[in-house]
Amino acid sequence: MSAAGNVRLIAAVGGSAAFLIAASIFLATIGRPPLTTLWQMVLYAFGDSYSLSESLVKATPILLCALAVILPARLGLITVGGEGQLYFGALTGTAIVLGFPTAPMPVLLPAMMLAGAAGGALWSGLAGLLRARCNVNETISTLLMNYIAVLLVNYLVYGAWKDPNSLGWPATIMFPQAAIVPSVFGTRAHAGLLIGIAAAILLHIAVTHTRWGIALRVLAGNRKVAAMAGFGFVGQTLLVMAIGGALAGFAGICETSAIQGRLQAGLSVGYGLTGFLVAWLSGQNFLRAIPIAILIGGLIAAGDALQLYSKIPSASATILQGLLFVAALGASGLAGRRSARHD
Amino acid sequence: MPEPLVTMSAIRKQFGSVLANDDVSLSIEAGEVLALLGENGAGKSTLMKILYGFYPADGGSIGIAGRPVRFSSPREAMAAGIGMVFQQFSLIPALSVHENLLAALPNAPWLQPRRSENVRAALRWLTRLAPDIDPRRAVRTLSVGERQLVELAKVLNLEARVVILDEPTSVLTPAETERLYGFIRTLRSEGKAVVLITHKLADIAACADRIVVMRGGKVVDEAAACDRTPEALVDAMVGRGVAGSLPPPAPPATSVPLLQVRQLSADIQGRTIHDVSFELAAGEVLGIAGVSGNGQFTLAECLAGLVPARAGDVVLDGISIASRTQDAAISGAVAYIPERPLDNAVVPDLDLALNLALRETRHLGFFPDRKGIVRRARELMARYDVRPPQPALAASALSGGNLQKLVIARELSGTVRLVIACYPTMGLDVLATQAVYREMFRQAAEGACVVWISEDLDDLLSYAHRIAVIHDGAIAGIVRREDADRQMLGRWMAGHAMDSAA
Repeated sequence: MSAAGNVRLIAAVGGSAAFLIAASIFLATIGRPPLTTLWQMVLYAFGDSYSLSESLVKATPILLCALAVILPARLGLITVGGEGQLYFGALTGTAIVLGFPTAPMPVLLPAMMLAGAAGGALWSGLAGLLRARCNVNETISTLLMNYIAVLLVNYLVYGAWKDPNSLGWPATIMFPQAAIVPSVFGTRAHAGLLIGIAAAILLHIAVTHTRWGIALRVLAGNRKVAAMAGFGFVGQTLLVMAIGGALAGFAGICETSAIQGRLQAGLSVGYGLTGFLVAWLSGQNFLRAIPIAILIGGLIAAGDALQLYSKIPSASATILQGLLFVAALGASGLAGRRSARHD
Repeated sequence: MPEPLVTMSAIRKQFGSVLANDDVSLSIEAGEVLALLGENGAGKSTLMKILYGFYPADGGSIGIAGRPVRFSSPREAMAAGIGMVFQQFSLIPALSVHENLLAALPNAPWLQPRRSENVRAALRWLTRLAPDIDPRRAVRTLSVGERQLVELAKVLNLEARVVILDEPTSVLTPAETERLYGFIRTLRSEGKAVVLITHKLADIAACADRIVVMRGGKVVDEAAACDRTPEALVDAMVGRGVAGSLPPPAPPATSVPLLQVRQLSADIQGRTIHDVSFELAAGEVLGIAGVSGNGQFTLAECLAGLVPARAGDVVLDGISIASRTQDAAISGAVAYIPERPLDNAVVPDLDLALNLALRETRHLGFFPDRKGIVRRARELMARYDVRPPQPALAASALSGGNLQKLVIARELSGTVRLVIACYPTMGLDVLATQAVYREMFRQAAEGACVVWISEDLDDLLSYAHRIAVIHDGAIAGIVRREDADRQMLGRWMAGHAMDSAA
């Protein structure tokens, strides 16, 4: 037990060290003082309340998309469809707003959020249905459905849904005040974050302490034994895919409503993929995904800030993010191998 | 007297709180067959895995030809001439036999022309051991016995001087077993040392020169094979006199059929059964004999309702159970002990407590009572002697025999109407085998009917009420135990149907 804990600790320290060294080499190569810049990034991510709020804003869709990967992973499914589900949820939620722009807030806001979640659930559920019924690999189908959803949103915001007064900018009208997801703590961070954290905790309890969690583990471990115990693969596949998709779709409509105020092309900067990576970093663990999502949100926010204030190209933040992921995944992989050998 | 080839002295190995090897000392001579005898969990496999470099020892030393060695990996042990064939083979099913053998050679070149020296070198042992295996066949098309020979050839290719076989006969048919005994004698005559890890007395009678008996991590007896009677060995193995042999189950009280199998046909990936019909009364035990691979697996899966019948029906107590997965009401009435429990009966990554609770999952609350599940698991593991008795352990951590006991505990501890048992005692020692039979027959005494698939004709002839023989997916004949004899069953197993045998 403690040996495994030690291995994990060493992995965390080793991974961080590997990241710091690689990041320093990279920053030095592009002619920046490494340690100063890294420290600046920490400040830009979590240094003051404004930075922190920006980090949480980025962390919200990442966390929700990570949950959308972790839940199917508990059934042994690997989905990469967070991005598409996020876009499709944004699309269906926006449809409600565009359809009933004058509805009162107590009706419009919940309807919009529910429609967003339902859109994501539908998009993901389709892949689930293909998997459960026709044995279509869910990784491939969710990947391909990402393109469809993103381009569908583009098609609408460049066409039928384009705001005539936007001077050609591909976006819908600004959402009415009644359709804005409320912000929390007096910052730009919005209610989606709280719901994401609550969902992570609830899902964690559900998969560790309920009969449903047992069903998922049995199905993931041995489909045949699951059939003997009376657990159906088809129903559970649809369920986990739909719940996951609902969370990602909810992320999409929240991002659209609370952060951007309207549906526009380029809604997400790869939140779906980042969520996938966060899910893997967390070891498909709901609770661990929360701090990791916030950390990665901070890294992205800091990258934006660095670009603004220190004139470091924005791609550097992406490169640093990549280095962090590789270091962390490599370290946890090595730790897994070591603890397996010490078993 | 020459120096022993291998000496292991004062070997200690601890797993958690379990002392698997407690100051064990052992020597292995060249040109002898050493049988390492003991019950499941006696520490035989652990000891040999330490010699093979698979586990590091916690204490003690190993010497080879008088030179002290310390292996930190099987690779080093292989370089020193120690080879081991495990119960679970390490062949790559998609590759052909000769590709598998080539891949195992050290310094195998990237490019391997078909007729090169390497190929001939890789095949030299196989062609000696089993000239009938075509090296171009894919390993997945081979039977278990053939795979074991390929695995053995692989080990011999590495110039092994000591060949360790881990319960080699537990997966073999009688004919394959005989063949393996022949090979073991051949290896001995070539001056190799063979270590046979086993709990079967038949293995010892067939080819052992010297016997070391282990119990509870210690060596309790060591003798020349000819100096010990089977009874003495069993006593040494289990530590006390075995309480006689088991009485056969009482004849069924009624002849009203409880289970009716009518013209059942089914298919799993080309392994078919067709027109299988029989009836069983409550309390009746039907033994199904046959050479493995003649449809036993398909029949069992189909009776258990896991594979839809293509034609025909299975009726238990008036209710069709041919597709049990759809019917929650009846599933609790059927106990199924499948073959290869790791693949078919447990969830390897799940802990033992939940694996034991799988039959009750339908009745669990939304928030299951974990403490209750663990408590029940502890009870069952104590009652069925599953070792180590740690409910939090993953099922994949159990040895084959203990896994089998776990499945028996889960399936037979409740009240059921139908028991389907496939090779339920595979990998079990004498005491555990008796315990399994006792459970099976208790179910029969309480009014269940038992379909018992086995390859052990002696046990079938001692205990089953009736014996059916399955050949090529069909029932070749059914006979009452009193009227059965081995020759008749043997003829049926070889494919002579009931009529022509008469």
